[in-house]
Amino acid sequence: MSRRFIIEPRGLAPWWLKLLIPIASVIAALIIGAFFLMLTGNDWAEVYTKMLDTAFGSGRGFAETLVSATPLILTGVAAAIAFRMLVWNIGGEGQLMFGAIVAAGVGVWLTESTPAFIAIIAVILAGAVGGAFWASLAAVPKVYLGTNEIITTLMLNFIALNLMNYLVFGSFSPWRDPESTQFPQGRPIIENAGVPEFFHRLDWGLFVAIVVAVIAWFVISKTRSGFEYRIVGDSFDTARYVGIKVPKKVLGTFLASGAAAGLAGSILVAGILGKMDPRSLDLGLGFTGIIVAALARLNPIAIIPVAILMGALNNAGPALQSIGVPSATVKILQGAILIFAVAGEFLISNRVRRPDRTPQDIEVEEEAKAA
Amino acid sequence: MSQGAHSQTPPAVELRDMDKSFYGVFANQDVNFSLAVGEVHALLGENGAGKSTLCSVIAGLYRPDSGEMFIDGAPTVFKSPKDALAAGVGMVYQHFRLVSNLTVAENLALGNPEVSMRLSQKELEEEAREIGEKYDFPVDPSARIWQLSVGQQQRVEILKLLYRDARILILDEPTAVLTPLEGEALFRTMRVLADEGRSLIFISHKLHEVKQVSDRVTVLREGRVVGLVETADAEPRDLARMMVGKDLELPTRDPNESIGDPTLVVEDLVVQGDRGLTAVNSLSITVNAGEVVGIAGVSGNGQRELAQGIVGLMKVTGGSVNLEGTDVTSMSVLQRIKRGIAYVPQSRLGMGLAPGLTTEDNLALKQYRGPPYSHGPLLSAGAFESRGAELIEEFDIRGVRPGLPIRLLSGGNLQKALIAREVVQDHCLLIARSPTRGLDVGATSTVRDQILAERDRGIAVLLISEDLDELLALSDRLMVIYEGEIVGEMPASEATAERLGLLMSGSSEEQPA
Repeated sequence: MSRRFIIEPRGLAPWWLKLLIPIASVIAALIIGAFFLMLTGNDWAEVYTKMLDTAFGSGRGFAETLVSATPLILTGVAAAIAFRMLVWNIGGEGQLMFGAIVAAGVGVWLTESTPAFIAIIAVILAGAVGGAFWASLAAVPKVYLGTNEIITTLMLNFIALNLMNYLVFGSFSPWRDPESTQFPQGRPIIENAGVPEFFHRLDWGLFVAIVVAVIAWFVISKTRSGFEYRIVGDSFDTARYVGIKVPKKVLGTFLASGAAAGLAGSILVAGILGKMDPRSLDLGLGFTGIIVAALARLNPIAIIPVAILMGALNNAGPALQSIGVPSATVKILQGAILIFAVAGEFLISNRVRRPDRTPQDIEVEEEAKAA
Repeated sequence: MSQGAHSQTPPAVELRDMDKSFYGVFANQDVNFSLAVGEVHALLGENGAGKSTLCSVIAGLYRPDSGEMFIDGAPTVFKSPKDALAAGVGMVYQHFRLVSNLTVAENLALGNPEVSMRLSQKELEEEAREIGEKYDFPVDPSARIWQLSVGQQQRVEILKLLYRDARILILDEPTAVLTPLEGEALFRTMRVLADEGRSLIFISHKLHEVKQVSDRVTVLREGRVVGLVETADAEPRDLARMMVGKDLELPTRDPNESIGDPTLVVEDLVVQGDRGLTAVNSLSITVNAGEVVGIAGVSGNGQRELAQGIVGLMKVTGGSVNLEGTDVTSMSVLQRIKRGIAYVPQSRLGMGLAPGLTTEDNLALKQYRGPPYSHGPLLSAGAFESRGAELIEEFDIRGVRPGLPIRLLSGGNLQKALIAREVVQDHCLLIARSPTRGLDVGATSTVRDQILAERDRGIAVLLISEDLDELLALSDRLMVIYEGEIVGEMPASEATAERLGLLMSGSSEEQPA
C-alpha cells in the first residue's frame, strides 16, 4: 500500500506560503490566458506587453490604474470585513449605488456657496450613510428575524440599480440634469464638492480608500472591539459565552461593510464622475470587490495591492481593442486568478508529502526557509 | 477459546506494522494487532493512545500510511467504510451516524444495496423487529431516531451492522453514553454476538468493563502496542500500569471541613429547552463556599439548561438565581461573569474556546476588557504574549506555537487552557460540566486537582457530570438530576454507584431499609 504522495492537513502554514500562493495564482492565470490567446490566433506576448504598458507604462496609465483601483479597495474592504464574520454581504453593488444616490443628492442639494471643505466631507459621508442604510435593509431582518442575507442583499442590488436608473433615465428627478436634452444624464454636483485631482485624473479619493483599509486593519487587530469582532467571527457560541452581544456585533459589522461600499459610490460621484452617472456606476465594482477580498485572504491591508492589480486589468481591457483583442480577455484573466487562488487555499491548509519523508522533516525545512 | 484454535483459523483481522499519522504526528506506529474469530477484544489506552485511529483504519475510514491488513487471512485494502462493510467489517462510532428524522427501519435500510426501492415500509419494519428480537434488542422500528434515548440510538447503530450481517464489529467507547444498567445490557449482547462467532473490538477507558466483557486486551500507549494479555490473567493494576507507564494514583481527597456561607442559591428554576419543552423544572440547589456539589445524571436530563440558565446563556422562565445574596436572574452573561461566575462548558471547542484564535488570545477571552490586556479601547499586544506565556507555563499547556490556532492542541491541553482562564479571573462560583470527559489519566488528575484546589480556596463548585467516578472523587454532596428535577440528594460518603445508577435511570428512591 505504498503511495507516491500523501496529502494531509497541516497545522500551521508558513507565512511565505501564504504570500507565494496568490502570486503563483496570478502567474498560472496568465499562462492559461496566454494559451487562450494563442488558440484564438493572437500573439500573447504582444497582448501582455500592451496590457502592462497601458496599466503601468506611463504616468497617465498608472493614474488610470489607481483610479480603477480606488473603488475596488473600498468594495474589497466591505466584503472582507463582512465575510470574516461570516456575514455574506454580496450587496456591495447595491450599497455602492445607493451610496452614490445619497451622495449625489446631497451634492446637488447643497448651494454653490458651501465651502469646499464642508461640501466634500458632507458628500463623501453621505455615501457612507447611504451604503449603511441600504445594508441595514438586509442586516436588521437578518439579525432579528434570521433571514438569509445572501438572498436579500442580492435582491437589493437590483432595486438599487433600477432606482438609480429611474432617477436619471425614467423621471425628472433632481438627480437628472435638466440641461441634458439629447440623452438623459446625471445633474452635476456643486463644484465645491468635487474632490480635487492631483495626478492626471487621480484624485484624493484614493487616500480615503487606503485610510479606510488601514483603519479596518487597525480596528480588527489592535482594538478591544476588534478582538470581540474576531471572537464572534470565529464562533458565535463562544462569543455569547464570554458575554459579547452577538446580534449587536453582527449588525455593526454589516452596517460598517455597507458604509465602506457606499463610500466607493460617493468617492466616484465626488471624484472622477462629478455626478451620478448610472452607466459608470454599474460596472460590477461590488462583485469585483468580492474577488479582491478573496484574493487578499480577507486581509484589509493586502486588499490594497490586490485592488491595484485588478484595477490594472480593468484599465487595460479597453486598450486591447486597439490591437483587435476583445476587452473581455481581462475578465477571463480575473476569473482564472480567482479560481487558482481559491484552489491554492487547499495548499495552504494541506500539504503534500512523499512517503519517504516524515512530517517532521518538512516542518524543519519550512521553518528554516521562513527564518 | 484455546490458543490452539487461534492458530488453526486465520484471525478475523490482522494488522502488520501499520503506521498512520496526522498533522505530522504518529497516531499509530508499528502496530501489530490480531482479532481472533469469536472473541471480544478490548483496546485499552489513554486518550490519544491511538485506539480510535486503529479502529478507523480497520473500518476503512482511514487508509494507513504503511503496513498490511489481512481479513480472514487475505490481504485487504479498504477504500472506504462502505468497502469495509461489504466485507463484513462495521464500526459504531462515538458520534452516531443516524438520520434523526427517519425511522429506525429507514435508517437500517439506508445505504444498504440489498434493499431495493420497492421494499415496503412494512417489510422493512418487520425485518428490523426480527433482528431486534433475535438479539434481545427491543427497539420500535417505526420510531424516529430523535425520539429515542442515546442508549436506544446506540442499539440502532448495532442493529444497522447486524442487518448488514457484519462479522467484525467495532464499538468505540460504547459505554460512555450509557447508564450502568444500559451498559450491563450491552455487555450481555456483546457476549451473545461473540458466541455466535462474530468478532468484536471494544474500546474503553474503564478497567472494570474491560475485565468484565473481554477475552483479550491489547494495550496501546502513544500510538504503539505495549501489551497483549488474556483478560483472565490480567490484574487491573497491571493493565493500568501498562496504559500510563506508571502506577495510578487516584486523587486523595480530604473532606472539606471549612464549608462557608451559601454562594449560589437557585430556587424553583424553570428553563425551557430548545424544543420548547420544560428542561429544568422547579429545581432548587444551594452551593456553599468551599464545597463541591456534584450533579449526576444521564445526559439530556436538563444539565445543559441548568448550567446555561445559571450563567445567563438561556432564558429563565421561572424561579431565581442568587449569587452571594444578589439576585442575578435578570442580569446579562457579562454582568454575571463580573459578579464572579466562572464556567467550564462541556463543549471545549464549541463554546469554551474560540477554535481559530491562538492560545494566548483564548487565555484572554474573559479578561480582555481591562488591564493588562487592554487600556481604553486599545489592546496591548505585549500583554497577550507575556500573560499568555505565564499561564501556559503555570498550567503546563503543551504544543503551543506562535500563531497556532488553539483547535490544533490535544483535548487535554485544550481543557488545561480553558480551566486556566476560568480560574485566574476573580470568581466565587465555578460551574464545570464533565470537565475530564475525553481526557487521559494524567490530564484527568490535573483537572481534578485543580477543582479540589478551587474548593480549598473557598470557591463554590457546581460539578455537573455524567461520569460517576469523577463525581464520587470530587463531590462533597451529590444530587441526581432526572428529567429536569433533582430526584435524590446525599453526602458523597453515602453514595454508591448502584444507588446513583438507579436514581439516574429514573427509578424512584430506593426502598426504605
